[in-house]
Amino acid sequence: MILPYHLVKVCGDAVFIAKGSDIHAFTSNFEHVSTWKYPVQQPIVESKAPSTETPESPAQDGPPTKRRRVEPKKDKASNGHQTESKNGQHKSKKAAQYDVPANERPFVQGLYATGDGRHLVAITGSDKTVWVFEHSGGGNIKLLSQRWAHTYTNPHLLGFVSLNMVPRAMPKRPCSLTFTRDNLTILAADKFGDVYALPLVPSSTPTAETTPDPIATGTPTTTQPPSRSETPSTPNPSAFRPQADAFTVHTKRNLKALENQKISLGRRALQEQLNRPQFELTLLLGHVSMLTYIAVGTAPSTTAECKTREYIITADRDEHIRVSRGMPQAHIIEGFCLGHEDFVSRLCVAPGGREEVLISGGGDDDLFVWDWVGSRLLSKAAVFEHVKKFPGSEKLTKIAVTRILACEWDDGIGVFVTVENITAIFFYELLPDNTLAYREAIPVPGYPLDIDVLNASGTTTKEPRLIVPLCMKSDMANSSVITMSRCGEERWKWEPIEDMPVGDDVNISETELGKIFFSTETLRKLSDFD
Amino acid sequence: MGGKRIKKDKRQKREDYRAAMKRDDISELPRKKFYRQRAHANPFSDHQLIYPPHPDQMDWSSLYPHYIVENKPQNQKDQPPPSQPSSQTVSGESPVYSDNDSTPEPPALRRISKDVEVADIGCGFGGLLIALAPTMPDTLILGLEIRVSVTQFVEDRIKALRAQSLAQSETEGGDAAPAGLYRNVGVLRANTMKFLPNFFRKAQLSKVFICFPDPHFKARKHKQRIVSATLASEYAYVLRAGGIVYTITDVPDLHEWMVQHFDAHPSFERVGEVEQEADPCVGIMRTETEEGKKVERHKGAKHVALFRRLEDPEW
Ligand SMILES: C[S@@+](CC[C@H](N)C(=O)[O-])C[C@H]1O[C@@H](n2cnc3c(N)ncnc32)[C@H](O)[C@@H]1O
Repeated sequence: MILPYHLVKVCGDAVFIAKGSDIHAFTSNFEHVSTWKYPVQQPIVESKAPSTETPESPAQDGPPTKRRRVEPKKDKASNGHQTESKNGQHKSKKAAQYDVPANERPFVQGLYATGDGRHLVAITGSDKTVWVFEHSGGGNIKLLSQRWAHTYTNPHLLGFVSLNMVPRAMPKRPCSLTFTRDNLTILAADKFGDVYALPLVPSSTPTAETTPDPIATGTPTTTQPPSRSETPSTPNPSAFRPQADAFTVHTKRNLKALENQKISLGRRALQEQLNRPQFELTLLLGHVSMLTYIAVGTAPSTTAECKTREYIITADRDEHIRVSRGMPQAHIIEGFCLGHEDFVSRLCVAPGGREEVLISGGGDDDLFVWDWVGSRLLSKAAVFEHVKKFPGSEKLTKIAVTRILACEWDDGIGVFVTVENITAIFFYELLPDNTLAYREAIPVPGYPLDIDVLNASGTTTKEPRLIVPLCMKSDMANSSVITMSRCGEERWKWEPIEDMPVGDDVNISETELGKIFFSTETLRKLSDFD
Repeated sequence: MGGKRIKKDKRQKREDYRAAMKRDDISELPRKKFYRQRAHANPFSDHQLIYPPHPDQMDWSSLYPHYIVENKPQNQKDQPPPSQPSSQTVSGESPVYSDNDSTPEPPALRRISKDVEVADIGCGFGGLLIALAPTMPDTLILGLEIRVSVTQFVEDRIKALRAQSLAQSETEGGDAAPAGLYRNVGVLRANTMKFLPNFFRKAQLSKVFICFPDPHFKARKHKQRIVSATLASEYAYVLRAGGIVYTITDVPDLHEWMVQHFDAHPSFERVGEVEQEADPCVGIMRTETEEGKKVERHKGAKHVALFRRLEDPEW
């Protein structure tokens, strides 16, 4: 089977669509501009030591400590210059994870755009890497890297990735990310429950030096732009960093020095050191649960009337939605939005001047509408009830919400919801009284894997268009991306985007396809079925 | 084979014993040997935990039946209300939160007159709880423990102690004897690393005890430690400003670890030694926890550190 297009992101005046490990760039008229391909030759990933990664199943919650065994045999090979591709065994493990023997390239697992549309960020799954692209408009992107990289405007040159390029591999697999409102910082939430801040554009010189023995001291250096440490009453923000999680920038020289200390440090300690990312990374907060989604919301400051403050909203597999202050006070939990009785998979801060409203969904039958600043449930809206009425779904006993997209729509706020394995988009309207009014189930010719909205800029018609990559499962040849718009009450028209670039196709079994693109339901706890 | 049968008999004995202990009027103290369980439960796995989706949905009435606020006035004042009927039992534990799926309107919770204010995280066999209870008779104290049978032991222990105390006050008669101790202490099975905010609202607690926590020596198990930078934020969340986290351990590395993490957390400051030693809870923590006693027998050192929850800065 061939891979479906599975992610879509509108970024400024361009649209990006991911398929496997490729990212295709389009203009807002869906003219194909370029394609970024995951570098075939793996770049050096200094921060990664091989052999600690085991195939991860999404249902696995928390550190699988038992399975994370450091195999002594492979330890020998681990040094600061280890390339992943050298390690045959690691390669085969990765392949096993996706069961795509012919292809070792990790899939694009998340696609994000900064608010100003000037950067596109992708997460690739199995290598836990965050890729940042500068977007100069019209779909023209340039990969930024931690230290230095060639600029690639011609996608066909992408095979020649310089060995100096070091992408940022996170300590644990990122599940979701977002940006601070100034678009300077990425907030990445991971599978093991932690949220890290990393600068969107890494400083070109790895300035910060650590002591040769960071394991003992672990004192990190510069972590936040000075402008963020504005609150005088906050003690040194870098103090909020435990030794074991103290990450910082390490130069090659430092790694060398470390290597020389191999004997005194002991093998395992060194291994741990090598596992640490070699770039600026700050631990902000953490749940003891797998994080599923992270969002940023703003609210008026409690002190200065005219100012607004940022908050970080995180959702986990254990039904929690946590509201923490933004940087540099992310260690302060303001509240929890509690009420879900199953996993939360999606959050959506309402647009259109309604930022105080948060919509959440997951394994429960309903969507929840929150006053997230006051930790207060405002209303609930049924999803399962409407899914069950959808032809062919009458016998369902549970659902998993996969996407919640809210956008300004017809002078109101439209909320579009997708549910795993349901060939429809559920359309709601967020009313001024903070309830979600159900409008209709819009049938689509396949399983929606993602959704975004394009407000055709430059035209006077405000009519937005939805972009939905669909998976056909049985008839893969027809997998496509459709655009949808409304023509009158309860009438929608959709059309496939023509001439989608195909790319080299990867063979994938239907089971594997299900595991990768239809895995939200696996967040549910097994005890729920008892 | 023979070995198997012995095992079964043993289990049967254990079950019989614990069933007998379930009776309400029992005043015999439970015996530990029937409640032993392997030392560690993985805090990252799902288990089969019962917890309310929101603290407002927590039914505290079965834990603190003497504090129930009756809607209708009742005649018998001194009689403890009957304990909550068991509607749902998960892996042998008695439910504290009944989740009734079939009825759209959940049965109204029986409210209690006070909120829990003191929590013992990983209370083990409950020594601290039992010793604290009479020293603060008007404060509700809750032990939280992840291991099922250990929790059951503490539950049975509290029940027996309540019964003993009541009997004593009756025989000694009159108003002179205390009205019955241990009514202010309860225990819950919970994974505190995940579900603290399900039980406690923001700033609800004044004291949190973390006594002799599992050390998890290996570096790759450090994430399982009950104190970490990120968990300190959750302790800060449930604690009110001025509230105290009490820690004690016999493992120097772990002591250092806890000090380092709370010290580094902007929401906490270390309590000075003079104040620490003047706090009566510190003495109790040193001598009354089961682990503390064990360390005493082995003549080990005990390291204590207290941290005060600071006021949040403006935002
Ligand atoms: C070494 S014992 C100490 C018991 C008691 N505090 C004492 O001092 O005697 C640590 C206890 O913490 C419990 N525990 C560990 N992790 C826990 C968690 N996440 N939630 C609740 N209890 C936990 C263990 O089951 C164990 O009983």
